Amino acid sequence: MRGPDVTWYLAVAGVLFATGSLGVLLRRSPLIVLLSLEIMLNGANLALIAFARQQGDAEGQIFALAVMAVAASEVVVGLGLIVALARRNVALDVDKLTTLRG
Amino acid sequence: MVAPAWICLLAPLAGALAITLLGRRISRRLAGLLSTGSVAVAFAAALLSFLAALGRDPEDREATSTAWTWLSAGDLEIGLSILVDPLSLVMMLVVTGVGALIVAYSIGYMHDDPEERRFFAYMALFVFSMLTLVLAGNFLILLVGWGLVGLASYLLIGFHHERTSAVAAAKKAFIMNAVGDAAFVLAFFLLIVETGTLDYAGVFGQADELSGTVATLVALGLLGGAVAKSAQIPLHTWLPDAMEGPTPVSALIHAATMVTAGVYLVARMHPLFEAAPSVQDLTAILGAVTLLFAGLVALVQTDIKRVIAYSTMSQIGYMFVAVGIGAYGNGMFHLMTHAFFKALLFLAAGIVIHALLGEQDMRQMGGLRRLLPRTWVFMLVGALALAGMPPLSGFFSKDAIIASSLAAGLAGALLTGIYTFRLIFIVFGGEPSPSVRERLHTEHGEGPVSMTATVAVLGVLAVVGGAVQIAGIWHPFADFLDPIVALEREHLALVEPSVTEDWVTSALAVGLGLAGIGIAWRLYGAGRREVAAPRAVRHALEHKLYFDELYNGLFYWPASGIARAFRSLVEGPLIGGSVTGVSSGARGLGRGVGHAQTGYLRTYALAIAAGVAVLALVFVSVR
Repeated sequence: MRGPDVTWYLAVAGVLFATGSLGVLLRRSPLIVLLSLEIMLNGANLALIAFARQQGDAEGQIFALAVMAVAASEVVVGLGLIVALARRNVALDVDKLTTLRG
Repeated sequence: MVAPAWICLLAPLAGALAITLLGRRISRRLAGLLSTGSVAVAFAAALLSFLAALGRDPEDREATSTAWTWLSAGDLEIGLSILVDPLSLVMMLVVTGVGALIVAYSIGYMHDDPEERRFFAYMALFVFSMLTLVLAGNFLILLVGWGLVGLASYLLIGFHHERTSAVAAAKKAFIMNAVGDAAFVLAFFLLIVETGTLDYAGVFGQADELSGTVATLVALGLLGGAVAKSAQIPLHTWLPDAMEGPTPVSALIHAATMVTAGVYLVARMHPLFEAAPSVQDLTAILGAVTLLFAGLVALVQTDIKRVIAYSTMSQIGYMFVAVGIGAYGNGMFHLMTHAFFKALLFLAAGIVIHALLGEQDMRQMGGLRRLLPRTWVFMLVGALALAGMPPLSGFFSKDAIIASSLAAGLAGALLTGIYTFRLIFIVFGGEPSPSVRERLHTEHGEGPVSMTATVAVLGVLAVVGGAVQIAGIWHPFADFLDPIVALEREHLALVEPSVTEDWVTSALAVGLGLAGIGIAWRLYGAGRREVAAPRAVRHALEHKLYFDELYNGLFYWPASGIARAFRSLVEGPLIGGSVTGVSSGARGLGRGVGHAQTGYLRTYALAIAAGVAVLALVFVSVR
């Protein structure tokens, strides 16, 4: 039972990654930007697992697990920042958070 | 003989360290007593060492003692060693004896000073340094002592560090001495190269084998050091300014001991000087020139201490003449008696200054004879000894030199008579001036016992100190020194004046001295008026024959001009400019790069995405 060819998986992964990238680039709410980032990571994960299956070993799956762990921690930090911003009544708009301008 | 010498050397060091380390835990009075005590212990030890030496055979009075090897480099080994011989014994006795008296005197003189402890620590340090110098067993230890006395002198001249003039005088003394020290050290380097050792015995043993040029250069270097330390022309300008220090310092360092180190040096190094006859002649010539120059300048000085300072230069000139013509015994003899009567003069002048609350200008003084009767006697004794009147000590020691040097010596005798008694008549003669009446502190009068008693002891020494040697009849002093400083070369043998010649020149010198006193009486004693001299002459003498002006023009102005030019041409634009250039460049660069930071998250994301896309394209296309 081989299932669909690896090309299909990669196509789905590419669509997910592109969707995520567009979300990061276009949306202004930090929460949505964070969600879009997760979608990009999941696209990458899907590609990793597809390749692992094609190669027939577990390395790609282990990599995907590691990415998930990193993504989880990243979400914790990101959401924490957003909650902190919201508590201080700062506008939740990435275009208005420009303190780092040089 | 050696053990007491070590005690003599180390006691003042212990005193200086104790006063420094105990600081405020001891009273000021105790600091003074500690300092006096340590120098007195050194004197007792020197006396013991001297007696031990007397008990030995005249040929056997030389002993070297090495504590340990101090440093070694290749074949060169230098020990921490001292040399005890008749020459160093004489110096030890003079330094510690006169030193103990002067430090005791300072207890009274420095009584009101808020920094007494520091003063006494410095004084003990000076005595230790001077003993290191005279006891040194090799050239390196000598150099250590030589440098240390320079340091102690610097510290004590600048003792009143709140006065800018004192600080300037201290720096001047240090720099002039550094010039001499440099010459000194160059001579040592040459000796190491040529003889491979720095031990006295080793070097002197090879003195004959040195080539003429090397011997001349070495002797010239040593003479440079001696001239600077002893304030002889041309490195003499620091000594009058050194009078900024407290009076006991002037008495101990700038009259009795340190400034005579040059004389001791020439006597100690005589095998080297004899190997270079031209330098020996130069020594005598410099001495003679200084003796006349300082005598002339002393005639117009108005500061009581500066008059005595110039007379010190003049008397050291006598000693240089003596050691320059090979009469080492006579030079050392005059060194000793000079230490007595010049310390006496300075300390008596100190009583006058102390009684007048710090006034040093002779023009403000007068009529002190009745107000300070004991000081008047002390001063008169010192002055008569200085002018070489019999039977005081100066007569015996100075006449011995005059007998062998004649013209300059006789002219000097006349000058000495005039300038010494000018001081006496102006300060003590006549009626008390208004300034004296106003300032004279009747309550403390001539000062505490510690001051008058020590001056009295020096007065006695100045009277009888000459009795250890009477030309042609009685000469135990010369006999004692003879094994060390006897002339080693026949062709240099001095024209030994016969007894009759001796007495004739003595009579001449005394006559001229008396004539000088007479002139001083006519000009300053009877008339009490300013002398009408041609303005050019007077002006030249008041400016000390323009030596300071000459050195300013030769060294100070060019050096400060070069420094100023470097500051405006190199330091400012090049050094400073490069630093500010680097910093402003970095700042500009930062400002430019800073524009890339827009603060918009999406700009960053786009930049990352674009970057990744470019990388991906590169990877794909390169494959």
